Amino acid sequence: MPKHVTEWLGAYHDGELNSARLRQVEGHLAECAECQAELEGMQGLSALLRETAPADEFLPTERFVANLTLNLPRQPEQPQPRKMLEIGWWLIPFSVLGMWIFLQITFSLSSLALAASDTGLLGNNLSWLQGNPLQTGWFVTIMNLFGSQIGFTGQSILSFLNDSDLFIQNLTGQFFWQALLAVSYLGWLASWWLRRRPPSQNPGNFSQS
Amino acid sequence: MAIPHAETEAALIVKAQTGDRNAYGELVRHHHPGVVNVVYRMCGDIQLAEDAAQDAFIQAWLHLPSFRPGTSLRNWLYRIAVNAALDVIRREPKQPFADLETLSMPDPQAGPEAVLLQKERTLAVQQAILSLTEASRAVLVLREYGGLSYQEISAALDIPLGTVMSRLNYARDRLKELLAPQFNNMETEYA
Repeated sequence: MPKHVTEWLGAYHDGELNSARLRQVEGHLAECAECQAELEGMQGLSALLRETAPADEFLPTERFVANLTLNLPRQPEQPQPRKMLEIGWWLIPFSVLGMWIFLQITFSLSSLALAASDTGLLGNNLSWLQGNPLQTGWFVTIMNLFGSQIGFTGQSILSFLNDSDLFIQNLTGQFFWQALLAVSYLGWLASWWLRRRPPSQNPGNFSQS
Repeated sequence: MAIPHAETEAALIVKAQTGDRNAYGELVRHHHPGVVNVVYRMCGDIQLAEDAAQDAFIQAWLHLPSFRPGTSLRNWLYRIAVNAALDVIRREPKQPFADLETLSMPDPQAGPEAVLLQKERTLAVQQAILSLTEASRAVLVLREYGGLSYQEISAALDIPLGTVMSRLNYARDRLKELLAPQFNNMETEYA
């Protein structure tokens, strides 16, 4: 015979089992007299608990309410609901999303425009975008000081290093903003998840021990 | 007693949160029987239960502005009621049901012997419940007399669902032991 289901009988009796566990317990009960007896004992206990005389000597509800209303103290002053703060809270994810879209569009458009400009597709129309000659400070300095002495090969290597540096700088800038926005959004999501958990709202001191 | 519609209760809560005593009175009128039943089973004494119910409703009134709309007022009140009952017991420990005379008459039509038997049974049940630990008693009372689901008990007492089950199992096992004679008598009667 399969293992007894004693630990689940209470939940079965209270109608609290999920369908899989319910089928398991019902299947076991159909063939286990011991668990059946245990369940009957539980049902009998519930009947006994509920059968015992209710407290019918209490103050009638109407009188209780009348007395209570007279004894109610003043409710403590509550701060006004901070609606603006609440609206601001919900604006955060939309702002982050908006900034991300803006940055994506800006980066993409500027890359496209520069590529088009480099290939001469747009003529000199975007020359204002290239006010900076796309040279790093260290490259300009070395070229000024030793440009004539290092020869063509040296200049090519320096030029390659300069381009790589510019590429990495550009990529790092993009990555930094994307990462910052992603962290902001995830942080907001985490706060939202923590906020939506029901508060204990417990003015008492019930011991959990 | 008319049971307020869910929307009506929500409207009453909003009014009571802004200090409307009449609206709160309506809410108390609706929840008083349930709260009294819970605190009575927790305390085992009518006078203590009256005090606990009064304390619970005053506490609820004071904390009502922080009550979050959309959650169950009944569960919230039961939680406060359980705490109020425990506070009252600690403040004024008193042996409940000193004698059978203090018990209410279960069925006026029943004969004297049946009445006595019923009273003895009631006394035994109440004493058995009071012998449980506070934590187990609270879970048992909210389930058997408050009619709360496991999930609601878990939320009301702020304990995990598994703890609700284990405390309930413990309480029932213990009561079955303590009430074995009454249980046997009841079976004989029904037989």
